[in-house]
Amino acid sequence: MKLYDYILSPSCYKIRLMASLLGVPLTLRPVDFHPGEEHLTPEFLALNPAGTLPILADGGLLLTETSAMLVHLATSAGPDWLARHDPQAAASEQQWLSFAHRLTASLGGARLCDMFQRPGDLASLQRQGIMALRELEVRLFEQRLRQQAFLASDRPTIADIACFPHVVLAPDGGISLDPYPSIRLWQRSIRGLPGFIEMPGIYRRHELSEEPDPDAANETAEQV
Amino acid sequence: MLSADLPPMTVVPALMPQGPFALWRSESGILSLQADRCPHRGMRLSHGFVRGEALSCIYHGWRYAQNGRCLKIPAHPRLEPPEAIRVETYAVTESGGLIWGCLETPAGAPPNFDGFAPLRMMSVKVSPQMIATSDEVDRRADGALAIELAGQHCLFLARAQPDGSTLLFCLIEEAAAPEARIAVSRALELFRCRLEADDLQKEAL
Amino acid sequence: MIGPMMDAWYPVALESRLGTNGRSTRLMDTPLHVARLNGGAIEIRTEDGRALPVRLRYGHVWTSLGAPTTDLFDIPEADQPGRRLVEVGVVRVRCSPLRAVENFLDIAHFPFVHTDILGAEPHTEVEKYEVEIREKEDEVWATQVKFYQPQAAKSASTGITTDYMYRVPAPTCSVLYKTCPARPGEWDVITLFVQPLAEDLCDVWPWMALFDDESPMTDLIHFQQMIFLQDRSILENQIPRLLPLDPGMEIPTRADLTSVAYRRWLKRHNYTYGAQLVAQ
Repeated sequence: MKLYDYILSPSCYKIRLMASLLGVPLTLRPVDFHPGEEHLTPEFLALNPAGTLPILADGGLLLTETSAMLVHLATSAGPDWLARHDPQAAASEQQWLSFAHRLTASLGGARLCDMFQRPGDLASLQRQGIMALRELEVRLFEQRLRQQAFLASDRPTIADIACFPHVVLAPDGGISLDPYPSIRLWQRSIRGLPGFIEMPGIYRRHELSEEPDPDAANETAEQV
Repeated sequence: MLSADLPPMTVVPALMPQGPFALWRSESGILSLQADRCPHRGMRLSHGFVRGEALSCIYHGWRYAQNGRCLKIPAHPRLEPPEAIRVETYAVTESGGLIWGCLETPAGAPPNFDGFAPLRMMSVKVSPQMIATSDEVDRRADGALAIELAGQHCLFLARAQPDGSTLLFCLIEEAAAPEARIAVSRALELFRCRLEADDLQKEAL
Repeated sequence: MIGPMMDAWYPVALESRLGTNGRSTRLMDTPLHVARLNGGAIEIRTEDGRALPVRLRYGHVWTSLGAPTTDLFDIPEADQPGRRLVEVGVVRVRCSPLRAVENFLDIAHFPFVHTDILGAEPHTEVEKYEVEIREKEDEVWATQVKFYQPQAAKSASTGITTDYMYRVPAPTCSVLYKTCPARPGEWDVITLFVQPLAEDLCDVWPWMALFDDESPMTDLIHFQQMIFLQDRSILENQIPRLLPLDPGMEIPTRADLTSVAYRRWLKRHNYTYGAQLVAQ
């Protein structure tokens, strides 16, 4: 599978993260989104008239919507990531998969505006972003009462991966994550999943690796 | 902060009226409340990580003990950090499912709200006064605000934030069933929404 | 108060990305417009119509609000044949321009902020290195800096010890010389050019001159953007936002000698826009 990718794009990271969690190798084709605006060149608009990233090509299949890419990855390599086991969970998964687009528009919009000075009404995007975070917090709080750590179920689904990147990067758009304890616990669970990978602004959990012994560095150096 | 919101090996910014402080729980469960600023380069310690019984700064990995003393500077792994390098450390305790911090010498144990357990913490963009004077609440002798949400008896603890907003803790009767808790949580959203809308309207006038 | 930093040169645009609409921006609280005239020439004016000096160098458009006593600093390697010049683009950061430079001069954060790329535990030790303020050039220099790098190149599977040299030729600009995997004996040049918008807000323009005939240009841009964005989440969370020049405010160690010299040099020249002089 070939991913047209931008390292700083939370939407591209969704696909890289999902593939890594599933152990699916991706061939990355970096696109000069900033400063080059390569995604708006005729070659790219022919591939994706919407002019958005990422784009996923798998054989004859060409996908330009992240939800479809997540479905494709999970269906081919990890059906456990699809909430197909009961009707409620399946519907919730769709609900939060769609909700992720609101996060892209609000939190993602604020980030582009604040960090890369793309045009937009920052204050209004931030207000919408806070409304979306509050909605997510309520959902995740209710899920905790149901003994479920994730959005649609007691295990992570593609809906969690769809929402995760823009939420964690909210501070890039000047939006604080401090007052959302359930969001904090949820993103901590995702960052602890086997196969988790980082992107700039989203750190790994350093506490999961051992505190090194001061002499360990010398020993490894000698081995090399 | 709610006890349930802070599992072992986590650090969070505790939103106190004086500003954020680094609140963390060690692997063995011990709580610490410290200044949210690494003395080395001023990085917020609440962005750090908790390994074992120590808090590390995310910037350079400087490691601090529960008493605030610097234990390790990774750039100089064999150096015993001087005793003078420490973060301010404050009193913190846990009672009734809530974590209580105190920046001065505590005058006594934190208040007890018999029969109630904390449900949620949330931020509200209005002042604590505005919440306390809302028609829906009654101030109790112990300072808590009594309110009925979704047919349940609830208590509010409202704490001012440096920006004039409020950190609101909602407590619910201990015996409340999960469905009742969900109903209260949703009613709480509505309560916040109305308060913030009223506040905007007042500002517009 | 801007003080002597008024007379320094600052980047305000990427020359190649400056279209006919120009770029409206700010320099130390002064709004200005960088315009591309019909003939292709570049003109910079403040809001009240004052024309500012223009220099085109290192891919960027440079200007000054005052009367620069020296020309823009020289990076001789920029003209060396065979180097690829990489325009990384701009990133806005809510921090003091001086904090952005100080972070760039620091290696001890590599294992925690650029984990598995520029550094990794347990290789956290910073060995002794040399720092001086070169009086003739009036620049801060750090040399013989060495640090363990887990993945020096895409092809590398094991770590190596990488050599670095740091240079501060202007209050908000730094040049880093780094081991060049493709050409042993040469140095790769990685710069951080900072445009101070306000005392606690800046636009950062990284730029590089590398020996690398293999990597696609986009890979080189993305690598540096990734590194800088990892730093951004630190820079926006340092308290205070301004760089404290009061020695009591922050605790340096031997690993921080470059930063100590940088702060001393700033103080000596009264380069204090973005600095906090007295503890508050």
